[in-house]
Amino acid sequence: MRFKYVHLLVLVMILLSFTASMKSLKINDTFRLLTPQTEFEAGHDITLKFSTNSDSKPDLYLSNSYGSIIIKPVINRSSLSYQLPKSLGNKTGMISWKLLGSTLYGKLNIHPKQEVATMETYLGPPSIETGETDYTMLVVIPTDIHDNPLKDNTQVSVMYQFLANESHDTIYMKNSISYKNIYSKTKTGRMLISSECLNKNSKEYDINILPTIPTDFTITYNRNHEYADGNQITTFSTSIIKDKYDNIVSDGTYVDFFITNASNDILKTSGSTVQGIATAKIIHPDHQDIWEVKAFVKGISESDSISVTYKQSITYFKVAFSEGNKAITVGPLKSFMGQMIPDGLEVKLHILQNNIKIKTFYKDSFTGYATFNLNLDSFPDSTYTFKIETAGIEKTYRNIKL
Amino acid sequence: MTGLNRNILRIILMLSYVAIIAFVVFGISSLYSYLNTGADRSSILHTEIKKADQYLPKIIWASLNNEGRPMDEQTLNTIENNYLDAWYVKHIAYKTNKTDGINDYYTESARENIFNIIEHNVSENITIEETTLEHHPTLEFFSEDGQLAVITDKDVIEYKRLYKNENIVLETKEKSTYKIILLLEDGYWRIRHIIKKEVSNYSENITTVSHDKIAVKGINYYPQATPWNMFGDAFNADIISKDFKLIKETGLNSIRIFVPYASFGKASVNTEKLMKLIQVLDLAEAQELKVVVTLFDFYGDYSVLDWTLNQRHAETIVTALKDHNALLAWDIKNEPNLDFESRGRQQVVAWLDQMIDLVKSVDEEHPVTIGWSNAKSATMLKDKLDLITFHYYEDLDNLEKTYDSLKLETPEKPLVITEFGISSYKGLWNPFGYSESDQAAYHKKAQHIFNENEISFMSWTLYDFTKIPKEVVGRLPWHKRTQAYFGFINQKGETKPAFKYISKQ
Repeated sequence: MRFKYVHLLVLVMILLSFTASMKSLKINDTFRLLTPQTEFEAGHDITLKFSTNSDSKPDLYLSNSYGSIIIKPVINRSSLSYQLPKSLGNKTGMISWKLLGSTLYGKLNIHPKQEVATMETYLGPPSIETGETDYTMLVVIPTDIHDNPLKDNTQVSVMYQFLANESHDTIYMKNSISYKNIYSKTKTGRMLISSECLNKNSKEYDINILPTIPTDFTITYNRNHEYADGNQITTFSTSIIKDKYDNIVSDGTYVDFFITNASNDILKTSGSTVQGIATAKIIHPDHQDIWEVKAFVKGISESDSISVTYKQSITYFKVAFSEGNKAITVGPLKSFMGQMIPDGLEVKLHILQNNIKIKTFYKDSFTGYATFNLNLDSFPDSTYTFKIETAGIEKTYRNIKL
Repeated sequence: MTGLNRNILRIILMLSYVAIIAFVVFGISSLYSYLNTGADRSSILHTEIKKADQYLPKIIWASLNNEGRPMDEQTLNTIENNYLDAWYVKHIAYKTNKTDGINDYYTESARENIFNIIEHNVSENITIEETTLEHHPTLEFFSEDGQLAVITDKDVIEYKRLYKNENIVLETKEKSTYKIILLLEDGYWRIRHIIKKEVSNYSENITTVSHDKIAVKGINYYPQATPWNMFGDAFNADIISKDFKLIKETGLNSIRIFVPYASFGKASVNTEKLMKLIQVLDLAEAQELKVVVTLFDFYGDYSVLDWTLNQRHAETIVTALKDHNALLAWDIKNEPNLDFESRGRQQVVAWLDQMIDLVKSVDEEHPVTIGWSNAKSATMLKDKLDLITFHYYEDLDNLEKTYDSLKLETPEKPLVITEFGISSYKGLWNPFGYSESDQAAYHKKAQHIFNENEISFMSWTLYDFTKIPKEVVGRLPWHKRTQAYFGFINQKGETKPAFKYISKQ
């Protein structure tokens, strides 16, 4: 019997607890907002207070720029207080709120704290060219301690230093940023830039003002002697290449030298500038020649054309046949002072039969001589014409028996 | 006795032997098939394109008139993609309370704000399902080095559904304006600052279409050979044309057809199928039949993050058909109230609500309805709908009463019963079903009631079908067989007795 009572008691208690937890908002619950303020500064404690005539405690929905949350009230007799979390109150922008289960809603506006904590600065591009048309852009976002950009129309000063000049400009924030286009001058160099907002200064930033494109220039050449020995080197140099504002072009500007020789072949050599001067080297021809030389900075500027003449260095050479015409010795090959030509002069031997070229052999000279050793197996017994050619001179020997 | 015992023993031994052999064979075969699995050859080259449509809110850029560097189309496109992705990862983060992806689309100091909110929501057990439906961005500023952009996104329509302890505590639709500073970092346009400049509660201005008199005498239509797959490869305009002629001859004036969501290509609607749909309406127009187009057939997700995709789907179809002479009305969804149990009533209703808004924003002319599966549900969203439609498969004796009470609740809106009928299946799976003459009697009676009370109707359906896809009524054969015999024309193409009462008593 007692069991039954316990049972009943438990049942009643369960039922009671149910009704207690089932207590929900009734339609006639009235809430009234007690906090008239809707404009706040970021970082302030914000509490929304409501008066109520019921004992229900509805949650509050809040939504700011980044997301939405729901918070619980703190109850003080006949009022409900909702304290906004710092993470919401610190960020600028509108916060909308809704008291759940009621028709009350509203919005708060959080303003930035007008004190600069950081000057977020973006400067680019980092280098621009001379001439007062190219520019770089400085973007400054002064932010408060809670990482909010300051109000629009906040004044920002931009300071510059370039060569002997120092100057400054005033700009105003718009769209939560401030920016300034900084134009180049006619001189090359490094410009230092900084900014200031509400007595907070940024660090120093710099941009390089680089020369603009090269203008036309002249070229010269330099060589040890004027003979076409196929051994010495001729060096071509440009004048100091400058842009139109008289700035020396950037180091590394690439210059191509095009050489047109007497038979209209084109040779090329190139170099890049150091202090505005580009040099390029090329080996002398091995025979008498006239070169027309012109240099280009590809697609941008060019030099005048110069002419370089090379004199014949070998005027005569001997040819000796031995070992039944199997061995042909060309030489001595003597240069302009009668000295043996430096090693490496190319000697060609053409073998013709009935005026048809059947074979050509190439040899480089060594200590003033070039020797050809023919393999007789590759030539049927017959008579041939030998043509020997070097340094632009040709010698012909007919009816050579092999 | 020993003989019996021995026999039992023998049987047990033999059975266990069989069982062991079966087990061993099964083991070897599954090992064999496991060793034969591997990558599909076609996947070797990684040629497939993985990008899927995940989030496609309506985005309309203001004409470019920005300060700073002139914007090019490609960069603007990248900014748009990254900006929308930033919204998408944020929606996911608040839904799951996880931070995946946030680092890619928010700079180091901006992401802190999101982490703080997630931390709060985790501690309070709050999750948020949210999406944005419209964006109207203006490019305000683009820096000379192409690394910083400022945009103002006006009138962002945000829908949020907040859950606390897994219960919905708030549904809200807001219209906000944001100012956003984006930085190009590691190839991503990341949000550096986002500031809400304006916010207000949002509700679509609904214009209801007044239709003085819609006297609908119609039928639900699928071709006999391809029920629930009308626009597939077996699409045959000749058959449909012949059917429409037949429908017209019976004295009916309208049809109801269905546009399946997935097989029409979801967010990016398959053009070929859309052309077929237009062709069907052309054929209906040729026979002077009006068409109720039912959208979102075989769709059942309703999740908030799916909304933008659903909207692009509906937008394409509604835009393509809204000026068609044959169009009678838009049926947003067939029997959505059947999904209340599995998807949640509030979730489904919220989905329907936004979809009505969307369809109406594209087509202001044609009435919008929802094909509720019963009269009881038909009062839901009645203020937003232009036409109340429901399906009636209950006892005809109660029809007048049901209809009258519904009429009383929605006095200004026309009512149409868009499905009714009975199956004439009587056989192995349902020996106590109705016969064809029962079906005829049913339709005769129904027509009588319709005639007496001037009720608009659309019957289910013209044909008996041979194949019922499992998505329609499930796999159970008694459901399938029943579903197959609702027609006025049997599987052999002969008219059933009910055919006489297809449009009149």
